Amino acid sequence: MPAPLAKPSADTFRQPLLDTRHLVETPEGIDLVLHPAGLVPRALAFAVDLTIRGTILLLAFLALGPFGELGMGLASLLFFLVTWWYMVLFEVLNQGCTPGKQLLGLQVVHDDGTPVGWAASLTRNLLRVVDLLPFGYTLGILSCLAHPTFKRLGDLAAGTLVIYRERPQPRPSLPEIDAQPLPFAPQADERRALLAFAERQAGLSAGRRRELAGILAGPLRVPEEQAEARLLGIARELMGPP
Amino acid sequence: MRLSDSVAVLRPRSHWEAMDFGVLLARRHAGLLMLAWALPALPLLALLGLLFPESPGWALLIFWWLKPLGERLPLFVLSRVLFGETPRLGECLRALPGLLRAEWLTSLTRRRFSPTRSFDLPVLLLEGLTGKELQQRRAVLAANRGKRGAGWLTLVGLHLELALWLGLLAFLYMLLPPQAGIEFDWLRLLEGPPRERLWLEHLTNGLYALVLMVWEPLYVACGFGLYLNRRVNLEAWDLEMAFQRLRRRLGGVAGVLLLAAGLLLAQLPGPALAQPPVPQASPPLGRQAARADIRTLLGQPPFRQREEIIRWRLGDPPLATDGGSRTAVPADLVQRLARTLEALLWLAVGAGALVLAWRYRDWLAAFAGRRAPGTRRTPAAAPGRSTPRPASPVPPSDIAAEAERLWNDAPGQALALLYRGLLERLREDYRLPLNEADTEGDILRRVRRLERDDLQHLAETLTRHWRNFAYGGHPPPADQKDGLLAAWRAQFGGGSTA
Repeated sequence: MPAPLAKPSADTFRQPLLDTRHLVETPEGIDLVLHPAGLVPRALAFAVDLTIRGTILLLAFLALGPFGELGMGLASLLFFLVTWWYMVLFEVLNQGCTPGKQLLGLQVVHDDGTPVGWAASLTRNLLRVVDLLPFGYTLGILSCLAHPTFKRLGDLAAGTLVIYRERPQPRPSLPEIDAQPLPFAPQADERRALLAFAERQAGLSAGRRRELAGILAGPLRVPEEQAEARLLGIARELMGPP
Repeated sequence: MRLSDSVAVLRPRSHWEAMDFGVLLARRHAGLLMLAWALPALPLLALLGLLFPESPGWALLIFWWLKPLGERLPLFVLSRVLFGETPRLGECLRALPGLLRAEWLTSLTRRRFSPTRSFDLPVLLLEGLTGKELQQRRAVLAANRGKRGAGWLTLVGLHLELALWLGLLAFLYMLLPPQAGIEFDWLRLLEGPPRERLWLEHLTNGLYALVLMVWEPLYVACGFGLYLNRRVNLEAWDLEMAFQRLRRRLGGVAGVLLLAAGLLLAQLPGPALAQPPVPQASPPLGRQAARADIRTLLGQPPFRQREEIIRWRLGDPPLATDGGSRTAVPADLVQRLARTLEALLWLAVGAGALVLAWRYRDWLAAFAGRRAPGTRRTPAAAPGRSTPRPASPVPPSDIAAEAERLWNDAPGQALALLYRGLLERLREDYRLPLNEADTEGDILRRVRRLERDDLQHLAETLTRHWRNFAYGGHPPPADQKDGLLAAWRAQFGGGSTA
């Protein structure tokens, strides 16, 4: 029976691990990590921008109404500006953030992570007309859902990427405990894990903390009850003196 | 479930990213997930259509109401797929009755309109808890804004379904050729369809199911992503995996050595720590001092540039005076404003055109320039050794008469004049592209290409005499004078501006 043999399907192991990161390698051999943003936050950002634009236009029409034909002329100029240039101007002059994107923590960049320029921004925003087809961004939605880095057609044409903006992280606070020497030489990811264990203490339940530390009790040669304190001491050592 | 079997990188993410993760996971197994949704749902819709042939609206409502039940099978598939065991369709369908049984009534009544449905479903189905324990578990996961994003997901999903549905309808409408003669009276669509249009309603229901087939698995996957992220956060799955890896590494060959080293370390009293710490003995090298040093260094020029910029800017805005004019704007003010604006706009257009013209002036000169008809460029110097030049660089108006006058005293001058005149006429009248590098032979070849016998004859004769004179020093024979001048006159007439 070949079927049960094939069950742990080989291709799932061969595929790279699924992750939401997009790596850009610089000429210096450094990997820049970008986090492409998916449909839900982008749709919300668009809704915010749409509301803002609608409000601007409504207020302008109300204010320009009494001016008769002059008012209509100015209003149509404004309409042109708000419809076609709102996104472009904000994206190019405000580091890739329209107000909606700013609110949702998004940012438009080129595929290689550089700030978005005039040509790319114009292309991706003019092509909204295509994404709109046939109604209500149908093509844009489908393209965004199907693309591994969530690009709509305009993004594909312009070579741009919508990513989550890096937010400054608050400095983590480690529990006050005496530093303890490391009994082994940790590699980079192990250092990170040890530090993260100390930093994320507050979010973990006591039982889970003991369980996690217990995994390393053997190699650290301490009883399971002391493993947690030992790990915290090691993390303090890795962190350096305060 | 073994964490190391996971086909994805499990690490704490933001709630938006957790949804994106769900989309990526669903994308990898899109076909299976769509089938898992469609196999129970589409027959159900067909059945409803058969039960309510007269009222497709009711069929759609019931179908929509039962939507949460259809989300269970895709979730089952996702939870297996995450740890690398892709279930086959048969397994899925066998698991379906068990999946549907759990809390089915609550999820169709009280929880039907819960905006965090997608997040709650995995808690119910995958953790296998019931009653009070389930409530507690839900409370734990929801604490500290644990369900953040789930509500937004549902809100966006609602609009997305609508947009895709209308998009599909619009697409179909666009496919209708205008010759088909189907004209919709949009107002009558509102009133409710006539009997013969019922099939259209049923078709619309089918399209909605098609949209759901795409979106429902993604919706479930996004919710699953949120749930997974919450658990990764609460239980530090990534740390568990990292610690397991570390233990495996340390437990290997190096373990023995480490053990020895560890024992040694444990035995030694740690001399460096027992003595008074060295850094305190030399305060200038202390951490605080170093930090202060660094700060002052960073404040100095190579790291911080201080620039003073002075520029003009608009003064304080004038106080708004249009408080009263809003109600009744004076007509002449509006007129004046409009005229000013119009002038400004035209100025902007003109300035733009000027800037463009200046920017592309070279291009314009090269490709769009036209020589004004009245101006003639001075002809290029005659090829060859041009020792005997005509007296004035500007050719006289009647070349033939002038040459006749010059012939007796200075036949060379006369010949030179005639030859230059010939070149001039070739350029002006026949538009031959002559340039300074052309030899007499080149010019003759070009003339031959014109295929005009008398012109060619004149040019050949003149060139021969000119060459004889210019290079050989032989003056033209006197008997040639009349023939040459006659031929010239016949060819070009008297005046030079023929």
